[in-house]
Amino acid sequence: MTGSSAADLQPVVRIIGQRQIVFDNEGFLNDFSDWTEELCIMLAGECGLAELVEKHWRVIRFLREFYAGHGRAPLNSQLKKGTGMSLLELETVFPGGIKNGARRLAGLPNPKTCS
Amino acid sequence: MKKVRISVNGTWHEWIAEPKTALLDLLREDLRLTGAKQSCDRKGQCGACMVIVNKKAVRACLARIADLDGAEVITVEGLGTPENPHLIQEAFVLSGAIQCGFCTPGMIMATKALLDSNADPTEEEIIKALRGNLCRCTGYTKIIEAVQLAGRFLRGELSPDSLRPLPDQGGLGVSHPRPSALAKACGTAHFTADFRLQGALELAVLRSALPHARIVSIDATTAAAMPGVAGVMTAADIKGTNTLKYLVADRPVLCRDTVRYIGDPILAVAATTRAQAEAALAAVKVELEPLPVLDSPEASLAPGAAQLHPDFPNLCFNQPQVKGNAQEALRSSAAVIEAKFKTQINHQAPLEPEATIAYWEKSEDAEEEDKLVIIGRSINIHFHLAMLQAALGWENMKYVEAYSGGQFGIKIDVISEGIAGAAALHFRRSVRYIPSLAESMQMTSKRHSFALDVKLAADKEGKLTAYCNDFVVDKGAYYSIGHVVVHRALLMLSGSYNIPNVDARGRLVYTNNPWGSAARGAGPPQANFALECAMDMLAEKMGIDPLEFRLRNSLKAGQSKSTGRTVTEWPFPELLEALRPHYLRAVQEAAPFRQGKIRRGVGLAAGAFGIGGPGDVSVASVELDDDGGISIYAAAADPGEGNDSMLSQLTAEFMGLSMERIRLHTRDTDNTAASGPAAGSRITYMIGNALIDALRQLKAAMQEARAKTGAELEAAGKSRRYLGRKKNEDAGPLDTQTGQGPSFESQVHAVQLAELEVDTETGKVRVLKMTTAVDAGPVINPQNLTGQLEGGMDMGVGFALREEYVAGKTKDWVTFKFPSIKEHFQMETIIRETPRPKGPLGVTGIGEMCMVPTAPAVINAINNAAGVWICDLPATPDKVKAALARKE
Repeated sequence: MTGSSAADLQPVVRIIGQRQIVFDNEGFLNDFSDWTEELCIMLAGECGLAELVEKHWRVIRFLREFYAGHGRAPLNSQLKKGTGMSLLELETVFPGGIKNGARRLAGLPNPKTCS
Repeated sequence: MKKVRISVNGTWHEWIAEPKTALLDLLREDLRLTGAKQSCDRKGQCGACMVIVNKKAVRACLARIADLDGAEVITVEGLGTPENPHLIQEAFVLSGAIQCGFCTPGMIMATKALLDSNADPTEEEIIKALRGNLCRCTGYTKIIEAVQLAGRFLRGELSPDSLRPLPDQGGLGVSHPRPSALAKACGTAHFTADFRLQGALELAVLRSALPHARIVSIDATTAAAMPGVAGVMTAADIKGTNTLKYLVADRPVLCRDTVRYIGDPILAVAATTRAQAEAALAAVKVELEPLPVLDSPEASLAPGAAQLHPDFPNLCFNQPQVKGNAQEALRSSAAVIEAKFKTQINHQAPLEPEATIAYWEKSEDAEEEDKLVIIGRSINIHFHLAMLQAALGWENMKYVEAYSGGQFGIKIDVISEGIAGAAALHFRRSVRYIPSLAESMQMTSKRHSFALDVKLAADKEGKLTAYCNDFVVDKGAYYSIGHVVVHRALLMLSGSYNIPNVDARGRLVYTNNPWGSAARGAGPPQANFALECAMDMLAEKMGIDPLEFRLRNSLKAGQSKSTGRTVTEWPFPELLEALRPHYLRAVQEAAPFRQGKIRRGVGLAAGAFGIGGPGDVSVASVELDDDGGISIYAAAADPGEGNDSMLSQLTAEFMGLSMERIRLHTRDTDNTAASGPAAGSRITYMIGNALIDALRQLKAAMQEARAKTGAELEAAGKSRRYLGRKKNEDAGPLDTQTGQGPSFESQVHAVQLAELEVDTETGKVRVLKMTTAVDAGPVINPQNLTGQLEGGMDMGVGFALREEYVAGKTKDWVTFKFPSIKEHFQMETIIRETPRPKGPLGVTGIGEMCMVPTAPAVINAINNAAGVWICDLPATPDKVKAALARKE
């Protein structure tokens, strides 16, 4: 990894809709408040989810509401209760499952590393 | 076996046990009195297990029960409880002598033995009485003060009540006792090894004795059949990625086919007892085929060198930094110095070994797997949890941070948790992994060794013109936080100064040495050592006083750092002026000792430490309770720095609330906001800011609803819980070609003064006094601040003069040359409080800055005393002696 090939370890700055948005090197938003519905739809499209339907939005809204109070992702038991969905359904409805799919689309940041 | 009768804390007990059983094991295992701690592998080196036997202070790890029949033993639990503490326990709390608290019970027992026989000891007598007790956090100053205060309490000259701040006395500027201090003083605070875990298996781990080898075969047949053995676990038994990925996926939980440093883990044995696990481990046959050893960055970068990791080149990171035109500036400068510097691989040396325990919580949901709970020493529980979930292939987990016996950066990464968690999963049992000190020292990350090639130049007015620094970092076997260390060194490269032209390069190179990672400062202590020594070299060459030279070159608001970022505030000249009278006094006092065998020297060094890195974001959650108190939910680890105090006191100040009504929830991934690591001195600035943001929202809601309790808020249709955020405005990476770009949002400034003696015959250096002037904004807790400064200076002097980790040789606190109270020196702190507009209530951090200027101040003082430059740390007597011989 030289200076240039180490780029995959660095945050990624993307210009989306005239806004500069910082993602971590796994594609998660650096800042929860950068999220918008439009951004979510765009990210969903990028990971092969052509359309977000009601159950997607139900999960995404619950995740965002929970994070907005607690500053972390909900436990699976809290997610099940909050959405009325089974774990199996939650895991399969998003490409990448709950962790790498739903949480990413909902704009929940990864836990911070040292910077 | 032998039958013995021993009184412990006033109650007589009878045991029939092996005569060689250590009293420490009897206390901890049989009586569950865990106040006495184990750190030094029962070698009597640390005093963490000190108890009183027949009125004398005794190391419980060395005392055998065969010699204790009829003895009367007192442990820290026998002195007092948090509800009814002993006056000595109160004295330690009120003196601020308790940081991580791991050494505290032993210190308190040694103090009791002293004061029982000598009610009013001198400082020399205190040092003699506590010479067997080690502390890594405090630099011993506040411990000596605590013993003196305890004496005053016991003699009836003063009462704790007359000193203890009232809970409603205010938040800022008050030395409220740390929330955890009494529990630590009374031995009731549970560190990881103190938890009783019913039915747990004990682990022993086989680690490589070779720095680089191929694992040819493993035969554990005999071991698996030995008494008490539950089984043997290898990499093949780990269901997840088996990779502890911090930034790069290169470090295995257990090595599959290759070992890359002395200490790399190969397999684990689980048994009913630790002794059984160790016996079985000795019966495991592992064949290792030695591979070529890359023992230095030079060896790794040599043409034809083997590649250590298949997916990554040996030169694993390379970042230039270019500002202006340094080469041209060098050519036209009036004076230029060139020097090469080197720093050692060092251990962060927390007293507590790298313990982890793991157990299962039954899931109440048929659809969900059982929950694996990890209890350990993490300073970033949410991130470490995610690392462990991926490595072990188990989703339903949580991490709980126990009280932690110091860490100083060592716990930025997962250490023993991976193996403990994997074993709990493999054997489907609770496990305890309580490694020895020797094993802990092997397995942990270390402070990186830096080699720095430096040029520094100035014009005829003594203004800096150019700085070149080509440095190579020995990465060791695994990446961990890798390039972050190089970035931090570059982000702070120009230190306190305005240097218009910079040409630098930082390279990170894999080797078969111990893997480097965070260590108090993480990069800047090494890079700043070179800059600050170079400053003195250049000042000397130009005949300018070192303080004057620094003052002349201070950065000013509107000027830029080496990253090109301009600064809006730089309260550094004021610090130099504050130190000036002390400096002049020191120079005058040293003047009569410029000749002869023992020579005195005075050295200065400064630092500007960045806090709140580019793109850093943090969160903290607060909730208004039904009694009007406030609960804080933030994963802000406190392994001794005082983060608990910071959260409580900022809240008390902002909300006008009594300290007693503030409740902290900081240690459990199930109920905390993911606030980020307790690293980079970021906790006060980042989490403190997020906390104030949350409190601001809560306060507004309370005012709007005229509510005083959570219930009243809810009745008014408002939430009782608020999430606060702090996001730094500067974000994104440095330019890969120029190293220009985003930088830290805040700086803490310091300048230190070293006064020392050099024995010109033996080369031995004795530090007489360190003085530090620091500006970290308004002070939250004066005792905590000065405690950090004193501990940092002690650590910095150890880094400068003694400490080094040599793989295969450094195995305990004696071979590490751990600073003891015998090396204690006088310390003085000068505090300035320039508010930082973007800090929480104007505050910024201090945890690492306190040792950044120390090593160069010491080395500059050695040169001032003896006229020799020691550019290769540590400055051992041999090196000083050799330099003196070369000079003559």
